[in-house]
Amino acid sequence: MTGSPAHARRLTRFFQLLPAIFFTVLVAGFSVMSSRFFSLQNFTNILLQAAHLAVMAVGMTFVLLVAGVDLSVGATMYIVAVTLALYLSASPTWICLLIAIAIGVAFGSVNAFFVVKLRVAPFIVTLATLFVGRGVGLYLSDTRMVLAGPAVSGFAHESLLGVPAPVFLEAASLAAAFVLLRLTPFGRSVYAIGGDREGARKVGINVEKVTFAVYCLCGAFAAIGGFISLSQAAAAPSTFGEHKEFLVIAAAVLGGTSLFGGHGGLLGPVFGAILIQTVQNGLVMIDADPYIYPLITAAIIFIAVLVDSLRASAIARLERRRIRVEEEETVEAVAST
Amino acid sequence: MLLTVYVIGVAIFVPQILSLETLREVAIAVLPLLVAVIGETFVLIVAGIDLSMTAVMGRGSVVAASIMTGTGGYLAGNPVAVPVGIVAFVVIGLLVGLFNGICAARLRMPSFMVSLATMMFVGGLAVWYTSWHTRSVSISNLPEVFRRIGYGAVFGMPISFLLASAVALIAHSTLSRTLLGRWLYAVGRNEKAARISGVPVERVVTTAFVISGACAAIAAIIYTSRIETGTPVLAQNLLLDIIGAAVIGGVSLFGGRGTVMAALMGALFLTVLDKGLQLLGLSLFMVLTVKGSVILLAAVLDVARQRWSELR
Amino acid sequence: MPTKTAMSLDQARPADVRRLPLLSLRDVTKSFFGVMVLHGVSFDLQAGEVVGLVGQNGSGKSTTMNILGGVHQRDSGEIVIGGTHYKPRVPRDAEDAGIAFIQQELNIFANLSVEENLLMGRFPQLGKWLPVISFGRLRERARQLLAAVDLNVSPQASASTLSPGERQLVEIAKALSLNAKIIIFDEPTTSLTSRESERLFALIERLRYQGIGIIYISHLLADVMRLADQIVVLRDGQVVWRGPKVTITVDNLVTAMVGRSIETLFPSRSRRGTTGPTVLEVERVSQPGVVRNVSFSVAEGEIVGIAGLMGSGRTELARILFGLDPFESGRVVVTGRPFVKPEPRACIAGGMAFLTEDRRQEGLMMDGSVAANLELAALPEHVRGISSRIQDRGLRQRMLALKEQLDIKSRDLWVTPVRTLSGGNQQKVVIGKWLLRQPKLFILDEPTRGLDVGAKEEVNKAIAQLADAGTAVLMISSELEELMGMCDRVVVMNRGELGRIIERSAFEREAIVKAAIWKGIGT
Repeated sequence: MTGSPAHARRLTRFFQLLPAIFFTVLVAGFSVMSSRFFSLQNFTNILLQAAHLAVMAVGMTFVLLVAGVDLSVGATMYIVAVTLALYLSASPTWICLLIAIAIGVAFGSVNAFFVVKLRVAPFIVTLATLFVGRGVGLYLSDTRMVLAGPAVSGFAHESLLGVPAPVFLEAASLAAAFVLLRLTPFGRSVYAIGGDREGARKVGINVEKVTFAVYCLCGAFAAIGGFISLSQAAAAPSTFGEHKEFLVIAAAVLGGTSLFGGHGGLLGPVFGAILIQTVQNGLVMIDADPYIYPLITAAIIFIAVLVDSLRASAIARLERRRIRVEEEETVEAVAST
Repeated sequence: MLLTVYVIGVAIFVPQILSLETLREVAIAVLPLLVAVIGETFVLIVAGIDLSMTAVMGRGSVVAASIMTGTGGYLAGNPVAVPVGIVAFVVIGLLVGLFNGICAARLRMPSFMVSLATMMFVGGLAVWYTSWHTRSVSISNLPEVFRRIGYGAVFGMPISFLLASAVALIAHSTLSRTLLGRWLYAVGRNEKAARISGVPVERVVTTAFVISGACAAIAAIIYTSRIETGTPVLAQNLLLDIIGAAVIGGVSLFGGRGTVMAALMGALFLTVLDKGLQLLGLSLFMVLTVKGSVILLAAVLDVARQRWSELR
Repeated sequence: MPTKTAMSLDQARPADVRRLPLLSLRDVTKSFFGVMVLHGVSFDLQAGEVVGLVGQNGSGKSTTMNILGGVHQRDSGEIVIGGTHYKPRVPRDAEDAGIAFIQQELNIFANLSVEENLLMGRFPQLGKWLPVISFGRLRERARQLLAAVDLNVSPQASASTLSPGERQLVEIAKALSLNAKIIIFDEPTTSLTSRESERLFALIERLRYQGIGIIYISHLLADVMRLADQIVVLRDGQVVWRGPKVTITVDNLVTAMVGRSIETLFPSRSRRGTTGPTVLEVERVSQPGVVRNVSFSVAEGEIVGIAGLMGSGRTELARILFGLDPFESGRVVVTGRPFVKPEPRACIAGGMAFLTEDRRQEGLMMDGSVAANLELAALPEHVRGISSRIQDRGLRQRMLALKEQLDIKSRDLWVTPVRTLSGGNQQKVVIGKWLLRQPKLFILDEPTRGLDVGAKEEVNKAIAQLADAGTAVLMISSELEELMGMCDRVVVMNRGELGRIIERSAFEREAIVKAAIWKGIGT
């Protein structure tokens, strides 16, 4: 009957499988429509192109888990790109990466300040910092395209142990996120806050500190994403990173992270990023009109959010308080003996 | 309190701003923005947000232009071209608003995500649509009758002023004197209590989004007419202005609070700010930075005001 | 009838020596907003002892426990734990002092696993400076804790898959992991099956043997009689009886709980006895997990009360009647017309009104003016034209008249925000809102809760006037005096079912309370 834990389990599993089903349908569809799509070369391309998106989606997951959001990740990307291209073009790769991360953390901490200390709604804060950030970036670049230095642009072509460097960096970031989220008490606090904020406070979790850290993390991952993306493109026009935030959020939500907080893993967003990249790649492969790309992306985002909302409503209905559990339980108990 | 902010804003740019010419420019520029902000205000009152207004404007712009334009428009040369074009604006606004409203009210999706998705979709649609009709990025050669709306006058009154005033008056009357107005505030203040008191919450929220769409359409008519072209990027940079103006003017992001007067104050402030930045010769990035910061400031003030009222 | 006492268990227990009490309360007082809620509560708890705390809703049980748990601060009096003074400022202090409070609303994170819930905030780490969880030790510790409460689930299982009973055991296990010396149980069996309750009782026995002091709060007197060594009865914020369980019978307990308090003045009713046609007919209404087979009726001019303890389904029933929640089977007929579309708007249109339990959350727009709140439900009636313009004048006059009638103390109805009014006035605003619609059936859920004596009288007067004017009134209340003073009949709810319907002539405090609380385990 309604309300039993078994029911909740089945529901969650159903919603978890949806993206996978969607993905299979997608791949099948594109393969049928274009022979170029279904090739190892192409699939490798997809993975490479999805690298930066995956990293950023993982960072976004941290924020989404506490029921927050960060719309400024695209602007972070841009500032990082501009800084690296203009001021660090002669620096070695690892310094560039470090500086990039530092910028990301700084940006994230600005967001964190307004969200945590001043209690302003996350979407308004990050909407504003999105514009301010881009403004700052445009100021630095003078609205001109900037070219990445040799260290950064060369990064994309290197490989470590046969694995392309961007993917390596992606894997390293994922590993770090994994450790943080799954293996540390901090990670457990993130889930706890998302599950029950007041309850988390009651068990002694420092909600403010954790939330602050989460926004900084998102900024850092956005910066890494910017690094990877700049390296692959070797240049950043004034529109670099524009509208990226939607794709990142879509990737995370498609991967099972809930906008309402408390639910989501790490493999999901990565998968979501690959899915979105597959869609974009597929559209190119079937020679679709480039103007319909944003339409498809918007539709995907919408569907992802719709599914998340439906799931949240369904769970809410199941968790309603019961008074008389007597009958249902006895039936189940009898059935199981 | 707002007036103080306003005065400060003016005082910074004292020399250039206080000229009759500038004042006139501001008065003209503020009109379409006011209409848009009024639309956003309705949605903010029910504690939602509409980020898709600018996309609606762009979409309406190109669809209407494609109908009206002298070069190969669907109704080129036809006397009903302009009325039909105007209807196109409005219909698009209403449809998008309806969609946003249903998703937010009945499907319980977060309104900022829905309107974000809608913004992308409708915006992309506008660009795509434009590519069908012209190799350039806009559709021009609009009929003279339509072009008059923007800067023209009738019976000595600028048409855009009449339009904006009409919208403002209807909005004010709706908010302060009609059932819908009371219901909007009730939903924004306490949705549960409103529902129990018999307010059709879902319908009210959906209506708010429809109104926002309609206002976006009307603002688009004025803008399109003024630049005399239909273009998908008509209002690209206006999103910040619209939301900023609303919040600065005193419309709360928490819902339940906001008036047409607040929209007017906010729109005026933002237009003055814009003019000031323009006169100072600041570039795009500076403008973005300043406006973003202003929104942030307004949002912080909003939170402060909300907490202060709760502590009393 | 009460069955055997736990004689066998008593004999098995080691004889206890008179020693320093584990916990001692002396003359604890507390006031909220100028209303005194605790008038000097004193009792002791020994280690390895179970103290059963009983009392009606509003007797001060929750407040006392909240003070112990560090949620509220006491005004005066002393609390001593194991010889040291105890003055907690935050729940964390209570935890540090060894007090665990297992509340009705469990603090379980449904999106985390059992082991994570058990040790949240206290995870064993790989190294002192390495903040990585040692899952091996976590699992081991979790297994130990689960074994201590005899809960057979995998530590890695998600908490969302646990039944309420199992979640409660996790909460208890968590308390044990914090080395709790005192565990407070607040109505623990509300959401449990019989089997789970038995398991809980067995656990409580084991905890006793370990020397843990337990305070067991429950309205199921049979359970309290079975588990407790000492019983403390609270009434109106005072301890009215305290002593070993064996020295009292259940009947006496009920009498002590209910007491012979001072007769509060209740308004006389002009049309008592003469009622009109039936306005509300409830026929075998059921909603699985919420209410079962409820049937009763309310006539014009009648006040029917709904009694029952928290969790008996009264509010849930009211919500179902008003169309806020669905019901699976049965019929509801209002003024001869069966319910077709359960929805507040339809109900209001059909002449119903609903005053909710929590006026802040569901009754009022706190930031709105008094007038804005008053007019909310009645607006559609004062509207004209396609644009639905509000006819202010008529509405204005009606609201001013209402202000007079209810004696709402507010300077300017259109300016004063409702937030600034006193509780009693706020409640009157909510009543006024519904009165403007002249309802045929008025459902009131705890209309005088949180109000001082004067305000209670005023509200009850208004309700009586309503009934005299012909409205059918359905009133949920936790105060026996109020029910007995106001109602013509009392419907007693118990665990989602109808216990008894008692006519005014048969009103007897004990009878009502018994019907509400008797159903314990094994009866």
